[in-house]
Amino acid sequence: MIEQPVTIINSLGLHARPAALLVKAASQFTSEVKLGKDDMFINGKSIMGVMMLAAECGSVLRIRADGPDEAEAVAALMALVNQGFNEE
Amino acid sequence: MSLCPRDFLERWQEVLELESLTGDISLDRRLPNADLASPGLALAGYTARFMPDRMHVLGETEMSYLASLDASARRAALEGFLSHDLPLVFVTKGQDVSVEFLELARAREVPVFRTQLKTAPFYRAIKPIAEEAFAPRTTTHGSMADVYGVGLLFVGRSGIGKSECVLDLIERGHRLVADDVVQITRRGKDVLIAQGHELAAHHMEIRGVGLIDIPALFGIRSVRQQKRVEVVVQLEDWETAKDADRSGLTRQENTILGVSLPKVVVPLNPGKNLTVISEVVAMNHLLRMMGIDVASAFNQRLILKMKEQRGLREYLQEDFE
Repeated sequence: MIEQPVTIINSLGLHARPAALLVKAASQFTSEVKLGKDDMFINGKSIMGVMMLAAECGSVLRIRADGPDEAEAVAALMALVNQGFNEE
Repeated sequence: MSLCPRDFLERWQEVLELESLTGDISLDRRLPNADLASPGLALAGYTARFMPDRMHVLGETEMSYLASLDASARRAALEGFLSHDLPLVFVTKGQDVSVEFLELARAREVPVFRTQLKTAPFYRAIKPIAEEAFAPRTTTHGSMADVYGVGLLFVGRSGIGKSECVLDLIERGHRLVADDVVQITRRGKDVLIAQGHELAAHHMEIRGVGLIDIPALFGIRSVRQQKRVEVVVQLEDWETAKDADRSGLTRQENTILGVSLPKVVVPLNPGKNLTVISEVVAMNHLLRMMGIDVASAFNQRLILKMKEQRGLREYLQEDFE
């Protein structure tokens, strides 16, 4: 199991569109993916869960993966967040 | 599909109150298009913008104009008019047509039909018939059902379960329009109408059972002759369904005959209740049509909440008290 923190940089935060992108990316891996903010962790493959985090711009998202492709999964999700989901 | 003068006589004689004044002449020639025109100015000699490939409608204006001419001018006008290779001429309001007119028409092999309808009602009655005959159409492999009044067109690879899905919908009281072969016709610019092949007549093939007769099994209320296509439901295998929407924010579209329709991609795995999903797709479409967009309303709430949190965080960060 690995975990990495990443700061949300797009100004609108983790709203529906970025949440959908994260969930789609996470679903491509066989590892279990969890996303957390503060002390709340949710299933990274569930869009409702991801939106419930309400991770605003500037907040820290913790990406946790457990499974055979955990390193790739965390790297892919980190990359998405660091690109600001191609939003402002 | 195309149209020939005989079709009017055989299929719409009563509606259009038609008779042929030129017998069997040129009844089977294909009409070039669905357009109609009244040739007023062409009869008067101005033929610069004359469209000879249209069906021509002679109303009281044209006929009384012809009657007002002296014999030689009338003959010249008629010869000029009929010298174009006209596909079909209508005379409205049951007006008398001179022997001279009909002889010239026969010589030119132009069919002349008389209707008892007045000109304006005749135009109103014949236009939809002609346009329907020339409407762009295509045939799709899929299943079409009316779910809560919303026309859902199910598409997807052979064997994925389109027919089974529609069968389940019928069982729940929705209505079958067509299975397997769906004929789609465009009305106007943006309406697509689906119907089944007349041979299929609401029969379906269910794997393992064979051919079944839907109205015989489920009653006449289980079928519908035609329905506007409103949403395309694309069924995909779970593994390959890459573009399934997760938020409902992105609108996918499918273009048929130049008309773009909302498309919903549904990934399938064993045990998935596609029937309920289809009902929800239909109801969601109705909500959207009423201006209620659930996904974006939800997203606005989420964005607002995050904005508040961000404001609070920034306020506290600068607070060194």
